[in-house]
Amino acid sequence: MSQSPISTEQRLLPDASRAAQDVLVVQAAGDDAILPRQLSELPRDELNHLAEEFGLDATQHKSRQALVTAIHDRRQLVASLNRDTMLDVVRWGRRPVTANASKEQLAREIARIRAMRFAGLSQPGLVALARLRGIETRDDAPVPVLVKKLKKQEGLFARLNRKRRAALGSLIARMIGEEGPSDYQFLPGEGSAASTSGPAPSATIRQDIEESGLIGGITSRIKKTADSYLNQKLDEVEARIDRKLDEIDRRLAEWRDKEIANRIRILKITLWASVIVAAVSLIYSYVMEVFVRHH
Amino acid sequence: MHFDAFDFFRWVLSIVVTIYATVVTLQSLWGWYVWLSGSDKYVTMLRRYVIVHGLRLRFKAFWGDVLVCLLLCVAFLILWRAHVIIYDMGAKLRDVPVAHQH
Repeated sequence: MSQSPISTEQRLLPDASRAAQDVLVVQAAGDDAILPRQLSELPRDELNHLAEEFGLDATQHKSRQALVTAIHDRRQLVASLNRDTMLDVVRWGRRPVTANASKEQLAREIARIRAMRFAGLSQPGLVALARLRGIETRDDAPVPVLVKKLKKQEGLFARLNRKRRAALGSLIARMIGEEGPSDYQFLPGEGSAASTSGPAPSATIRQDIEESGLIGGITSRIKKTADSYLNQKLDEVEARIDRKLDEIDRRLAEWRDKEIANRIRILKITLWASVIVAAVSLIYSYVMEVFVRHH
Repeated sequence: MHFDAFDFFRWVLSIVVTIYATVVTLQSLWGWYVWLSGSDKYVTMLRRYVIVHGLRLRFKAFWGDVLVCLLLCVAFLILWRAHVIIYDMGAKLRDVPVAHQH
């Protein structure tokens, strides 16, 4: 039995008294904001997991109700963001998503982005990223201010760790060599092929290690290489299957033409035989009628 | 009653061959129809494929032979008509001495 998004979202509201003011915002989110159960019914560990997926720190919200409210606010924030801007952030962060991913999927991917090099990200993208990282900012805030706020929000220890990872990444990159830049591609969605989305910063192993640490960066690089190899092999297999199908189709067309030509030839021979027999018969009839029977 | 062996041969041949060709053609067409009208998804796919192949068939590849077949059919009909005229002429010629006697 189907329910309208509005009624579903009303059930998700953590506080019934806020329902009236939240309905319009939630309506904009549409199907993005549907969860199978009410947030308040979820167990604490699932709530923590959900909060982490949205880029929230669950430890900062002591009470269950506070966490539910924070998740709800984050989902409202996601619903209010521009989808193209979020795609811009995802492209910049090189996260694997399909081009038709929902806003919540995009928000979850953006929450996983740890990069602090903002080159290539547009101003609206920076605003969206800042808001999803919990920074209050205006829509028209200038880029340097946004970058400063984002770096300030990172914290001293996190920054030092990142610098350490960057140094390690540089070392590893020098040891194994850097790869050339590559264009970002969305994952292939239903009924659509992977599409290149224009220029985007290429992730180097140094950046991978800087974002995810030594093991995480190398794992990520191995995974990307394996994915790339698999995709290449799959493309080759697909191309081979296409070639075979074309060959089968071509041979079938040839067989069809040959078969029809043979049938028409047989029909022609039959007609020739009929006409010859009819001509002989006509001569015979003429001789019999005019000469033999008349005389 | 005058018995003509060639007449007998012509009639028997035309009747037997016409019936045989008609039965074999109808049997074949009915078999294809029954097979291709199945509801199995592979049969449905094959039916569409056969239709597509039929639409992709180019008349230009066979138009020479088809034209010859059409002309032969016309020639056959003309010969058939000529038979009728000759039999008619023969009947009239047979009537001439009888009318002359009266």
